[in-house]
Amino acid sequence: MLTSLRLSHFRCFESLRLPLEPGMTLFFGDNAQGKTSILEAACVLLRLQSPRTSSLSELVHFGAPGFAVAGDLGDTELRHHYGPRIRKLLVDGEAQASSGPYLRQSGLVVWMASDDLALVRSSAEGRRRYLDFMAAQLHPGYGTALRAYDRALRSRNVLLKRDAVPRWNEIDAYTRLLAEHGKMLTTLRRSLVERLRPHTAEAQRHISGREDEGLDLAYEAASGPGDDLAATLLARREEEVRRRQTVAGPHRDDLILLVQERPAAKFASEGQQRTVALALKLAQSRLFLTEKERAPVLLIDDVFGELDPGRRNALMAAWPKESQKLITTTHLGWLDAACGSPRRLVVSGGRVA
Amino acid sequence: MAQIEYPTPLLQLIAQLKRLPGIGARSAERIGVWLLQRGPEFMDPFAATVQQAGSEVAECSVCGFFRTKDLCLICEGSGREDSLLCVVEQPADILPLERSGGYKGHYHTLRGRISPLDNVGPEDLRIGELSKRVREGIFSEVILALSADVEGEATANYLTEILRDAGGASLRVTRLARGIPVGGGLESADELTLCRALEGRSLMQ
Repeated sequence: MLTSLRLSHFRCFESLRLPLEPGMTLFFGDNAQGKTSILEAACVLLRLQSPRTSSLSELVHFGAPGFAVAGDLGDTELRHHYGPRIRKLLVDGEAQASSGPYLRQSGLVVWMASDDLALVRSSAEGRRRYLDFMAAQLHPGYGTALRAYDRALRSRNVLLKRDAVPRWNEIDAYTRLLAEHGKMLTTLRRSLVERLRPHTAEAQRHISGREDEGLDLAYEAASGPGDDLAATLLARREEEVRRRQTVAGPHRDDLILLVQERPAAKFASEGQQRTVALALKLAQSRLFLTEKERAPVLLIDDVFGELDPGRRNALMAAWPKESQKLITTTHLGWLDAACGSPRRLVVSGGRVA
Repeated sequence: MAQIEYPTPLLQLIAQLKRLPGIGARSAERIGVWLLQRGPEFMDPFAATVQQAGSEVAECSVCGFFRTKDLCLICEGSGREDSLLCVVEQPADILPLERSGGYKGHYHTLRGRISPLDNVGPEDLRIGELSKRVREGIFSEVILALSADVEGEATANYLTEILRDAGGASLRVTRLARGIPVGGGLESADELTLCRALEGRSLMQ
């Protein structure tokens, strides 16, 4: 767990030092006061990425050159400095050569937010990001493969768009890379989904309180027969010439969500969809606990105010007890005896009291 | 009252220094002022050395490494294995390979790598020169010693096809092994590294 969090020039915070405690902590206050930014800073410290944006430069306090986040994770002190030219990662004061060794010494994170419903209802991109965020925490090489795949994909698409007659000898130099890294992504995602399935099914039954409400997952790979992406792209060359982009590969994969054997986006009720969104995140925390034997930090943004008491109590009964929970909320009306007496901090105008 | 600035020649010196790689405005100013304070006994030989390097060192038109007017130490030096050619991205990549002592063949510098995102294509690199050298039929093996990132690997893939065309079936095209660093343990290696180390496994002799 995080015993302290320190921010410097991060979003609306010029500077903040925050001692943290185990169990539940509620960050309470009106909108746009900085509550979510505190959770985001914890995520950027532990996982070096933000669930709200893909560009860390957006996190820099207005007018400052860069930001720094630091904190103590048990006995380990983590520091992450970000600037336009430098990025420094330190563990116990020792500079890390790259994100790999830093992340291996960091902790696990589950991010839950009010817009998780989009995982069920919206495009596959959000579901891929859900899997990617999880896989990167379980497999040290996943993030590297994902970045390499993404760079090879962007390069390949530039080449497909650039020339009137595509230069296939150059494009295929990237096709081979795409196939190599893509294979790793597909294999790891597929295996992840298999391991996740029992946890999501269990979580859905638990939150809905109905034994017959099953949630099943299926991984839909878009690399063609046998996941042979190179062969698939070769066979679909005409289509690539017409559309001027890479038409197959893990960047088009999807995670299929089935409630009572039917696609959740179309056939599940709104209540069931909300349960699915919660079940996915709850299952993530159970999987982390099972496989890594470490409790993840749960960062829960603006979820509790909207949950009905039934789902809220079910969630609180099933989340890992050992997990530290940092929770933002705009009102405390929902707080009842079932919640115990969590620590409350008021966030207002970039200050915490 | 007019704002005081450094005299123009010093400003020009600072502007030149700022063009060097890794030197920003602050450092350029600091170095410029420092040079002037050291005086002519430092500046004159310094300037002469820069000038001399510029006029006497050139790019070898064969391997792309640096040479003097009379000699390319690699292409015209003796005791090299003439059947081996090693392809690198930059001239500076040659020295680590030389210092390793594990390689005694010839070199070819590409002066970059293919990168569509940076608008660098094959025509910007010394690839035509490479196929010409290979076509002469002297080399039996070409070793691709490019960086292990996306651009380096894409360039290696691209060159492999070009070299097969230029060198025919008898030419061996190899790449540096990728995998577990010497002295490293398995537990700290990630999946991609392990996969590649398995692919590139070698027979125990």
